[in-house]
Amino acid sequence: MMTLNLAIRNLLRNRRRSLATLVAMSIGCAAILLFGGFSGNINYELHTRIVQRGGHLQIQHRDFYLYGSGNPTAYGIDNYEKIIKAIQEDDVLNKMVVVATPSLQFGGIAGNYAASVSRTVIGNGYVPEDINRMRAWNDFGLRSKAPLSALEGSSLDAAVVGIGVARVLQLCSELKIENCPKPETETRSDGNALPADIAQLSNLESPSAAATGNTNRVEVLVVNAKGAPNVTSVNVIRAEDQGVKELDEVSLIMHLEKIQQLIYGRTEPKVTAIILQLRHSNQVAEAKERLRPILDKFSTKQPLAIQDFRDLNPFFVQTVQMFDTIFGFVFVLIGAIVLFTVSNTMNTAVVERTVEIGTLRAIGLRRSGIRSLFVIEGTLLGFFGAVLGVVLAFIVSAIVNNMNIPWLPPSNVEVVPLTILVAGETKMIVGTTIGLICIAIASAWWPSHRAAQMKVVEALRHV
Amino acid sequence: MADQEDDLEPAPTGEQAAVKQGPVAILTQVEKTYQLDSVSVPVIKGVSILVRHACFTVLLGPSGSGKTTLLNMIGCIDKPDKGEIIVADTKVGELSDDELSDFRAKNIGFIFQNFNLLPVLSAYENIEYPLLLAGASAKKRGTRVPRLLEAVGLSDRAKNLPGQLSGGQRQRVAIARALARKPKLVIADEPTANLDSQTGAAILNLMRRMVERYEISFIFSSHDPEVIKAADDVIHLKDGLIQKIQRKGFGDAS
Repeated sequence: MMTLNLAIRNLLRNRRRSLATLVAMSIGCAAILLFGGFSGNINYELHTRIVQRGGHLQIQHRDFYLYGSGNPTAYGIDNYEKIIKAIQEDDVLNKMVVVATPSLQFGGIAGNYAASVSRTVIGNGYVPEDINRMRAWNDFGLRSKAPLSALEGSSLDAAVVGIGVARVLQLCSELKIENCPKPETETRSDGNALPADIAQLSNLESPSAAATGNTNRVEVLVVNAKGAPNVTSVNVIRAEDQGVKELDEVSLIMHLEKIQQLIYGRTEPKVTAIILQLRHSNQVAEAKERLRPILDKFSTKQPLAIQDFRDLNPFFVQTVQMFDTIFGFVFVLIGAIVLFTVSNTMNTAVVERTVEIGTLRAIGLRRSGIRSLFVIEGTLLGFFGAVLGVVLAFIVSAIVNNMNIPWLPPSNVEVVPLTILVAGETKMIVGTTIGLICIAIASAWWPSHRAAQMKVVEALRHV
Repeated sequence: MADQEDDLEPAPTGEQAAVKQGPVAILTQVEKTYQLDSVSVPVIKGVSILVRHACFTVLLGPSGSGKTTLLNMIGCIDKPDKGEIIVADTKVGELSDDELSDFRAKNIGFIFQNFNLLPVLSAYENIEYPLLLAGASAKKRGTRVPRLLEAVGLSDRAKNLPGQLSGGQRQRVAIARALARKPKLVIADEPTANLDSQTGAAILNLMRRMVERYEISFIFSSHDPEVIKAADDVIHLKDGLIQKIQRKGFGDAS
């Protein structure tokens, strides 16, 4: 207790130097926390968008993840409704699962034959109501909200496309898409480009653009489950930014029922994935475990696999790792500055108090007592510097968050208010505080060791 | 570590005790050489002395005669290159660094020329510090420290920091601190050198009284004639060798 008392008084004795060290430490600590809060928010944004779009878990055919992009419908899941029912009836899973919904991925060609343009697309069929329920997921309490899908409440032949698809299919004016200059390459638009066979097939499914006079209509050509081509006409009701240009260029979203009709006709419809959205992301492992025996019952004729959102989105994992690495780098950099600052302060204190060290040793304080004295001083500097840094980070983050500065996080489709998440990030705050205290202790250790190793007579003789 | 003494009550009589007790320090053929760059400088060249119990001993000699080095070795803050030192019946050369620290805390008090008080502690706390090091109870500290302050005439300055005290007052605090654990030996390196003659005389009187009152041996280095007059034993040093030892009541010895 006396050593602590002495350490506190020694720090107060050189108020200016102690204050300078505390300021340096607290700014360093605040910088770490603010960067951590900023990158943490990006991770949460990305995490939330991914879970909102693709759920936490997807039940797929075992080979779909690796080979499904070539011919998605070849990896359809039988009895998907029974699987969903089994999941919903499971006592444990029904408490964890917020949404369990089927989806069907397909490849095809979308053509605006009135404009004589077409392009390959990667489509997805969803249950629109489920998709919008998924988009309400906000486990991290983010301030930004995901835009809802326009498919909900629309007619069965409605479709939503990526902005890039709308641009190529020359639907810009109809869908009110900005930044859509007419391409210099001339395209034929004689209105007779739709081949007769395709028009005939399309008319069997739904009325074509030509027939309805609706200029938003697009013909979608797919290969059905039996390998034959099939065409339908869809009404493009909105173009949505997918956040990634490559996805924007190919995305076509339709009602599940509609695309199932097109691919499976009157045979039993299938899906390529059952999407499960959980209440919390930390339930993934438990939900996976619980799902296995259920899926085993349905895996006799079809090998099923469970993919979690991290497996399905390597970009997310890479982004989190990148920010973690940058955070670590920033921590090391600032930690080094703290190390040198505290070390310099302690070294100066040792030099200034050499005679005192000699006196304390002469009157019976052991070497370990001298070491403890300086280490406690370093620890106190580290502790108060870190605490001040936390307070500073809270204040700065609160100011920034209230300023509502607009910015577009990576892979986001909408501008969101710049947010620095410090409050509530207990793990980061405690980790940074302990880390900086440890650095301060480490920086004080060498000067304290030097002080403890001094010869008493030499210390007393010091001028 | 528990205190052996419960209070600072005076011993029955100094002379009786001095007769009963053996010497507080014995130095036998002690040598010490300092290495200054590549030059070896012998400072103490085979000194053998005996410091008597409850006596006022002065080391006298010109600058460079080895007074401070000898004091440091008797105070167990420096070690001889050769020879043996026994303090309070303990061969201090055989003690580890931690044991030496504990030994000093228990048996030796220090009074420095520059007072060497801890500037962040008040007069009271400076005196209390050695007791805290010894693990003395709050009750014991609460009894002993005010008595020491009273003994050195600084009861009204207990809360003052060293910076708020005069040189003489600081040295009084240093004396009280040196006596806090009632050591067997107090080492004082020119304790009056930084004081004016009047204050120096007062400090000397105080220390003299302490020797008589508490039966503690004091060993000084000094040039001050007043100190020499007050001494029981005077050890004359020159060039690291003992020239002469004068003991009151025993005459001179070489």
